[in-house]
Amino acid sequence: MTAWAAISLSLQLAVVTTVILLALAVPLAWWLANTRTRLRPLIEAAVTMPLVLPPTVLGFYLLILMSPNSWFGGIWVRVTGDTLAFSFTGLVIASLIYSLPFAVQPLQTGFASVPKGALEAARTLGATSRDAFVSIAIPLARRGFLTAGVLTFAHTIGEFGVVLMVGGNIPGKTRVISIEIFSAVETLDYATAHLLSAGLLVFSFAILTTVFLINRSGGMRVA
Amino acid sequence: MPDQLHFRLKLRRGPTFRLDAEETVPLDGVTAISGPSGSGKTTLLRALAGLDIRAGGDRLVTFAGQEWDRSPQHMPTEERRIGFVFQDPSLFSHLTVGGNLNYGAKRRGVTSMDAIVEALDLGPLLDRAVHGLSGGEVRRVALGRALSANPAVLFLDEPMAGLDAARKAEFLPYIARAVSQARVPALYVSHATDEIVALADRVLEISGGHITGWRTPPMRLSARVLAEVSGGVEVRVDSPDGTDVDAVLQIPLRAMPGEAVGLGLPPESVLLSPDHPGNGSALAVLPARVIRPSGATERPMLEVLGQTVTLPGRFRVPAGDRLWMSILRVLPRPEPTDSEL
Repeated sequence: MTAWAAISLSLQLAVVTTVILLALAVPLAWWLANTRTRLRPLIEAAVTMPLVLPPTVLGFYLLILMSPNSWFGGIWVRVTGDTLAFSFTGLVIASLIYSLPFAVQPLQTGFASVPKGALEAARTLGATSRDAFVSIAIPLARRGFLTAGVLTFAHTIGEFGVVLMVGGNIPGKTRVISIEIFSAVETLDYATAHLLSAGLLVFSFAILTTVFLINRSGGMRVA
Repeated sequence: MPDQLHFRLKLRRGPTFRLDAEETVPLDGVTAISGPSGSGKTTLLRALAGLDIRAGGDRLVTFAGQEWDRSPQHMPTEERRIGFVFQDPSLFSHLTVGGNLNYGAKRRGVTSMDAIVEALDLGPLLDRAVHGLSGGEVRRVALGRALSANPAVLFLDEPMAGLDAARKAEFLPYIARAVSQARVPALYVSHATDEIVALADRVLEISGGHITGWRTPPMRLSARVLAEVSGGVEVRVDSPDGTDVDAVLQIPLRAMPGEAVGLGLPPESVLLSPDHPGNGSALAVLPARVIRPSGATERPMLEVLGQTVTLPGRFRVPAGDRLWMSILRVLPRPEPTDSEL
């Protein structure tokens, strides 16, 4: 059944995207939360763009960028021997950009809430700045991490426009849940559409409830 | 001669403030750094700790022969072995009280913090979360955390800011006890007279970003605890010549018989008179001998029961032999005793 292939593909995409994006967003968010450069508004605007742009616009430019005729797509083909457009890797790259604000903003808010004094106290107690970041900043910003992770995951599961533009509709390769639903409706397979739609509905509701629960309670405490 | 901290700092802060300060401070007992708000006290302390290295400036700091700063070379804060108690206590809110104390101890290889836990009464708090603590408890934990990393010097930046008078009175002896017990020299930034009288051995004055000199050290008499009484202890002012003067007074302090106590004398609580004024409301009336009367340059000096006391310049001490010193209030400070060696 193609629905299962779509679900599995969506989950894979979401996991890979979340892991890579968190790794990229942590330094970026830390920098944004601490920098005093005047360029900050420009960079914050750029990071937030995917939130307001129609996914088709983003998808259109990504498609052009990934085409083997562009400099980026060209280099990619030369290095890996594969084209980016209409591939899983292409989907991951598109998802990274599309979900960027969902990872960066909660992390930035989390890091901004870490008191400077706590980090300085850690330094005076013998911690290097890297040690202080790991032992003080990350635990104090843990809600930001949870929110960023959950939102990135959920948002990647739910994307449609960018995926359709960049990945097309190739079963088992780029056909994720949202596109499977679209295909099911086009072919009047309402049973599958119902199943997947209801699944996404419940999933999204559960995810958002989790986020709000995390943000309401103090989160966990570490001894 | 004790080790010394020498600094020569030229820094800019904001559009107008400049710190341009040079001094040598003995690393012994408590050195208060005093001055009006905005005079650069905190900036000085933070600069010595190397907390704002990236803000630039011309820095030369030597600590007990070890070079901390010689621009552009700087030793990172974490290698300076400073116990820093900040104005805002900045406890680690994701850790318990015990976790806060352990943080520095773990990183500096300190194995036992029992003495600090004991001196600051932190035992019952160890498993508590930080956010349930009272204002006074938070300060005690912050002080304990700084001491638990076994610092070579303690920096205290108005550690009692924001506490009400009652909490201050409660916390002050803790600072005194912890500092004397840990035998660590301290730099204490404050503009509160009581704190300085109670704790400081010497006072460095700073104004408009410049060191303006050493102020007369707080008047202090050394005494010894005789017995515990309700609400405190009874102490006798040490008198090497063993006079039979009634030099026993009661003070609200938690201490053991035999312990040495410094009695800080707030200037406004000391009255001098040529004749015995009668005991009245004074805690004690002690005989004093004039060693040096008020003069043009040097501070007046008295001998009280064999101890030498230098008075602030505003006291007018007439030439003459005998005076009586009425003491209306004292600010006690536990002193290290031989038994703790």
